Amino acid sequence: MTLLVILTVVDVLLLIAGLAFYLFWVGSLLTRIATNLEECAELVRTIKAHAELIGPGVEHINQTGGVVAGALPLLYEMAEGIVTGVTPAAPRPEVPEPALPASGTRRSRLLAAVGFTPQTLSDSERTGGNPR
Amino acid sequence: MHALAMNPTEHTLWVTALIIGFVVVLAVAALLSVLIYLVKIIDRRVAGVRDTLKAAAENTSNTVLIPQVADGVEAVLAEGLQHHLFLGRVLGKVKS
Repeated sequence: MTLLVILTVVDVLLLIAGLAFYLFWVGSLLTRIATNLEECAELVRTIKAHAELIGPGVEHINQTGGVVAGALPLLYEMAEGIVTGVTPAAPRPEVPEPALPASGTRRSRLLAAVGFTPQTLSDSERTGGNPR
Repeated sequence: MHALAMNPTEHTLWVTALIIGFVVVLAVAALLSVLIYLVKIIDRRVAGVRDTLKAAAENTSNTVLIPQVADGVEAVLAEGLQHHLFLGRVLGKVKS
């Protein structure tokens, strides 16, 4: 009888002590997890604050960069016009020379056909450039 | 103090209840051990998430430079407009 009572008390004490020990352990772990999760929430809020700057900033950069890219060809054309305008060119003669064909003047055969030989022609021209 | 009389049936029931009680204590201990194991896993994963978020916060901390870059690009545009005006004036004089 006494043994049964003692074992019953031990059983109840074991149950209570075990529950208390494990619940204290779980409680400390959950407290640490809660602290870490609060820190995580704060970090997420910080990241959100950082990320809110990205959208408007990138949109601003994109808009301004588009304007710059559209204006650069105009600047290029204007600079090219300035370079063309200030490049020194060869001075033009007062009396322009007659335009001559690149192949040179051709000797007329009409005088030779009627038997007339001008005195100004040299021997080689008189013979037509062929040695007799 | 006098001893309580207990018949064999009551004694057997008491012993049975006592054994069941010990079994319940062991089962509670086992289940709470499993609970501790799972909570420890959650603790480790939460610590990992916290470290990852710290690294992400450090990476995104430089986004404050984006508005400054936007202002710089706008300054480049303003300077380009000044060049445009200058070249426009010079081009008119050179062509004339």
